[in-house]
Amino acid sequence: MTDAVDQDLICAIATPPGQGGIGIVRLSGPGAKRVAEKICARGLVSRKAVYCEFKNAAERLDDGVALWFPAPNSFTGEEVVELQGHGGPVVQQQILNALCSLGARLAKPGEFSERAFHNGKLDLAQAEAVADLISSTSIAAARAAVNTLRGDFSNKVNDLIERITTLRVQVEAAIDFPDEELEILEQAGVVEALKAIVQAHKDIIESANQGRLLSSGLQVALIGAPNVGKSSLLNALAGEEAAIVTDIPGTTRDLLKVDLLINNLPIRLVDTAGLRDSEDTIEQQGVARARAQIAQADIVLLVVAVPELTDSGVKEQIQELREQFSGAQGPPPEILVVVNKTDLAAPPDLDQRVNHAAVSARTGEGLTELKSKLQKLAGYTDDATEFSARARHVDALKAAAAQVDASLLALQGGLGVELVAEELSLAQRYLGRITGDVSADDLLGRIFSEFCIGK
Amino acid sequence: MRYPEQFDVIVIGGGHAGTEAAAAAARMGVRTLLLTQNIETIGQMSCNPAIGGIGKSHLVAEIDALDGVMGRATDQAGIHFRVLNSSKGPAVRAVRAQADRALYRNAVRKILENQPCLRIFQQSVVDLLVEGDRVVGCKTQMDLDFYAPCVVLTTGTFLDGKIHIGHEQHPGGRAGDAPSNLLAQRLRALPFRVGRLKTGTPPRIDGRTVDFTKLEQQPGDDPRPVMSSMGQRSEHPAQTQCHITYTNDRTHKIIRDNLHRSAMFSGAIEGVGPRYCPSIEDKVVRFADKTQHQIFIEPEGLTTTELYPNGVSTSLPFDVQLAFLRTMRGFEQAHISRPGYAIEYDYFDPRDLTYSLQTKALEGLFFAGQINGTTGYEEAGAQGLLAGINAARKVKGQSFWEPRRDEAYIGVLVDDLINLGTTEPYRMFTSRAEFRLRLRQDNADQRLTPLGIDMGLVGTQRRQHFQVKMRQLQVLSEDFARQSILPGSDLDAVLALNLRKETRLLDALRRPEVSADGVAQALAVDTNDEVAMGVLRQLEIETKYAGYIRRQDDEIAKIRRHEGMQIPPELDYLGIDGLSNELRQKLDQQRPASLARAARIQGMTPAALSIILIHAKKVVSA
Ligand SMILES: Cc1cc2nc3c(=O)[nH]c(=O)nc-3n(C[C@H](O)[C@H](O)[C@H](O)COP(=O)(O)OP(=O)(O)OC[C@H]3O[C@@H](n4cnc5c(N)ncnc54)[C@H](O)[C@@H]3O)c2cc1C
Ligand SMILES: Nc1nc2c(ncn2[C@@H]2O[C@H](COP(=O)(O)OP(=O)(O)OP(=O)(O)O)[C@@H](O)[C@H]2O)c(=O)[nH]1
Ligand SMILES: [Mg+2]
Repeated sequence: MTDAVDQDLICAIATPPGQGGIGIVRLSGPGAKRVAEKICARGLVSRKAVYCEFKNAAERLDDGVALWFPAPNSFTGEEVVELQGHGGPVVQQQILNALCSLGARLAKPGEFSERAFHNGKLDLAQAEAVADLISSTSIAAARAAVNTLRGDFSNKVNDLIERITTLRVQVEAAIDFPDEELEILEQAGVVEALKAIVQAHKDIIESANQGRLLSSGLQVALIGAPNVGKSSLLNALAGEEAAIVTDIPGTTRDLLKVDLLINNLPIRLVDTAGLRDSEDTIEQQGVARARAQIAQADIVLLVVAVPELTDSGVKEQIQELREQFSGAQGPPPEILVVVNKTDLAAPPDLDQRVNHAAVSARTGEGLTELKSKLQKLAGYTDDATEFSARARHVDALKAAAAQVDASLLALQGGLGVELVAEELSLAQRYLGRITGDVSADDLLGRIFSEFCIGK
Repeated sequence: MRYPEQFDVIVIGGGHAGTEAAAAAARMGVRTLLLTQNIETIGQMSCNPAIGGIGKSHLVAEIDALDGVMGRATDQAGIHFRVLNSSKGPAVRAVRAQADRALYRNAVRKILENQPCLRIFQQSVVDLLVEGDRVVGCKTQMDLDFYAPCVVLTTGTFLDGKIHIGHEQHPGGRAGDAPSNLLAQRLRALPFRVGRLKTGTPPRIDGRTVDFTKLEQQPGDDPRPVMSSMGQRSEHPAQTQCHITYTNDRTHKIIRDNLHRSAMFSGAIEGVGPRYCPSIEDKVVRFADKTQHQIFIEPEGLTTTELYPNGVSTSLPFDVQLAFLRTMRGFEQAHISRPGYAIEYDYFDPRDLTYSLQTKALEGLFFAGQINGTTGYEEAGAQGLLAGINAARKVKGQSFWEPRRDEAYIGVLVDDLINLGTTEPYRMFTSRAEFRLRLRQDNADQRLTPLGIDMGLVGTQRRQHFQVKMRQLQVLSEDFARQSILPGSDLDAVLALNLRKETRLLDALRRPEVSADGVAQALAVDTNDEVAMGVLRQLEIETKYAGYIRRQDDEIAKIRRHEGMQIPPELDYLGIDGLSNELRQKLDQQRPASLARAARIQGMTPAALSIILIHAKKVVSA
């Protein structure tokens, strides 16, 4: 918990979210150059912009320039590398992920400035401002962390912590009270419990949309009949003419992916070919790809258009969609019906139970509402601190999962129970970053209330 | 009358804290006086006649590593030794010894009486002599004033001690001893927060009235462990047996039917008792579904027939004690030689202490032992040692020794106490130590003896013993790093390694299936050679834990770095925006000396630490 003036490697997106153009990822601390060179796959030169591709292992993420500032001549006074790329927020998140997997950790609010201060890069007059910044951002971050911990996610995290605590209570009781006839789990039972905890970790990371988003971007697919305006919608949401639009049905053939921010929410929007039976082999392929995309998406925007539109027609299409992914693995995508071309005619009354939004891709009417519905579906607020708070939760979950794995290995490898306990306590400490620590005294309290102990 | 001689350190109380404190200060060469109510009760075990156990023998090993009393006395008095957790890893293994009460007392007394620089005087202390905000000495019952710049108070359960048996109660420091009421009154007038705690003890039984043929036996371990790192089996007196019996539904019924007559349940006791040391009435109520409880029957000594039935501590009236005891197997005819009782006493909120165990309010005054809210001989001894050391260091004008949590259980104990306070008598458990894998009984000497040598606490004998061990360990580990095993070689076969490539002996030892004993046999080392085997086992432990320990190094490096970040004492916490009100109050009250200490304050957040550090830097550079 004592994180002030740590000398570890931290990273964060240095440009404010939602701004286009160049995005900067900043890395500060010992080893910054070494780690950055792995991403850039080439040597960096002091204070010189080096053009390179940013890669995670073999996968190309972006290209741009890398700048290395050796200590102490940098913003923070530590070794700093800035990766300036063109990719949007999803790509930036992927770069952060790659950095974290190489040993960096996500910076806390104000941490760069704080380090700058401690290394004498800011004068005393600025100190107060830094302190204020830390306290206000940490309050915001704390609030954000609490917000992300509502509902399902929170229940699952709490359940996970409870399971680990229960196991620790048993393991620690076995260690500290061997003379008591405690009903300590048999080895097999502990293995089972650990396996269940590992699985629970996986589920929760998966279900924290964030996990998916951070690794591959939240996928939103535009699906619908030809000519309803899917490509037009993509252009309208992206704010640029990314897709070709014509009045010829079957214009879009291949998948078109665009990364963009919707209310600060980074998503990957995928335009697809209009669904219909076609003689054209190219179009057939396009339709096949569109169908495949349905199963991969986190959210499907089912686009329909007035005037030929009925409530039952919409329901039929939803039904068809559901059948598409009924056989697929993973959770089914959320469906949001987008009624397009409202500038031509008023939309018919649709069943209130069907989640829908009415828009005109041409005039832009209804787009704001569509965005906020999309955002709600994705489970996000537009609060950037909340976004990073959740990123940190996922980070902590992953670190904890690795420890639980390690304790399972220790147990199966015939190592002492105190080593199993050691890994478990580390796991709990990581989870403690989400919900607060479980102290030794809390644990002992549980032991005393659950087991009859004492002379 | 003013006693004609001036002292450097006065220790009040000859219990487990007091004896360690007095011996430590004297070992460091300052003029020390031990003042205690009764010389006959020096080193008296108020409760069960056992030393050690999990977490506790770790403390004893640390006291021992600094050449303290407890480990040595235990080897001279132990009549039944066991290794606990022998099936688990070395970090959580512990030694527990039943001690002959009289032999233990004698051993302690003998060590003290042979200690240069130490005087002992039998008198009850009734007052502290205070000048301004510092202590200068104390006054005894017969109006004798003793002067010294440092005073260590270790009066155990005696301050306003009140003994309860059923609804009857009387003042007492423990059965048979008078309480210290005058001193308690006086201390209450000083600026310390005082609370009440409670503990209890079972009735003792005359062994001649017990039918041992009906009881399970529990022999000591073979090979028999020793408590002190310099201990020898040959020092041990004759060994004896413990026995085991159980409570049953008749026992429980009698207890349940008479709950209203228990001091604890009738509300007569305001003090809080330890959760891990519940009375039998507590156990019966809280774990109603348990049909029996295990009772260890421990001998009180070799020359007495008295037995200590461990597990039936109680404050029920005598007639109920007798009735429920007699329901148990083997106890059908049991005669109680001393009734069980509960005792309530004053303790001082340990948050009023600093890491050195000096009180914040009065310079030169140190508190140690049960009066700080702890329980147990080992916990008391460890604090006594620390307070004695620091009193002597203060006299010598040296800085305090303040062991960290990653260095010693003593560090964990003090850090927990002064930061978290306590609401029940505090006992050590290994689960309290986050650096448990380092803080082992087996390496206590490696952790602390060098420090002890530096501080002038360690005698020649121990120093030489330690240096020999360290040299051997070094030679052995170099040897193991150099030697390697070839696949298909004899060693490979004997150790059942199934090697695929040449492997260093040291790396083979890292494998869970390879043990020191296995290697000893393979290398034809004499397994009866205690010294050689000790060193080999040490190497095995270090090798097996190496990866885990290295992982903790980062964490510890961080703590040390934070320790180096001093916070100026004059920092105005109340004026710092961005800290919660609660934190501001705590910081203002505790005034942590370093960032590491600030980090230990409850409710501290990383952001708050950052803010404190920024303000600390401002003060320094202003
Ligand atoms: C009834 C009872 C049950 C207990 N049960 C347990 C248990 O189950 N497990 C466990 O671990 N521990 C138990 N303990 C606690 C254990 O006895 C103590 O933790 C330990 O003895 C504390 O050591 P100490 O040195 O702090 O105090 P003590 O051992 O109590 O020593 C205090 C010393 O101070 C002396 N003294 C007191 N007042 C004065 C004065 N005014 N002037 C001069 N000398 C004075 C006394 O004579 C005595 O020598 C029990 C104690 C009691 C009394
Ligand atoms: N009036 C009006 N016309 C629209 C709107 N959105 C799209 N159109 C028109 O509808 C036609 C088809 O638009 P596209 O965006 O190409 O439709 P699509 O769904 O991508 O079609 P395919 O790619 O062929 O499946 C074009 O002529 C657009 O100009 C709208 O909101 N209002
Ligand atoms: Mg199109």
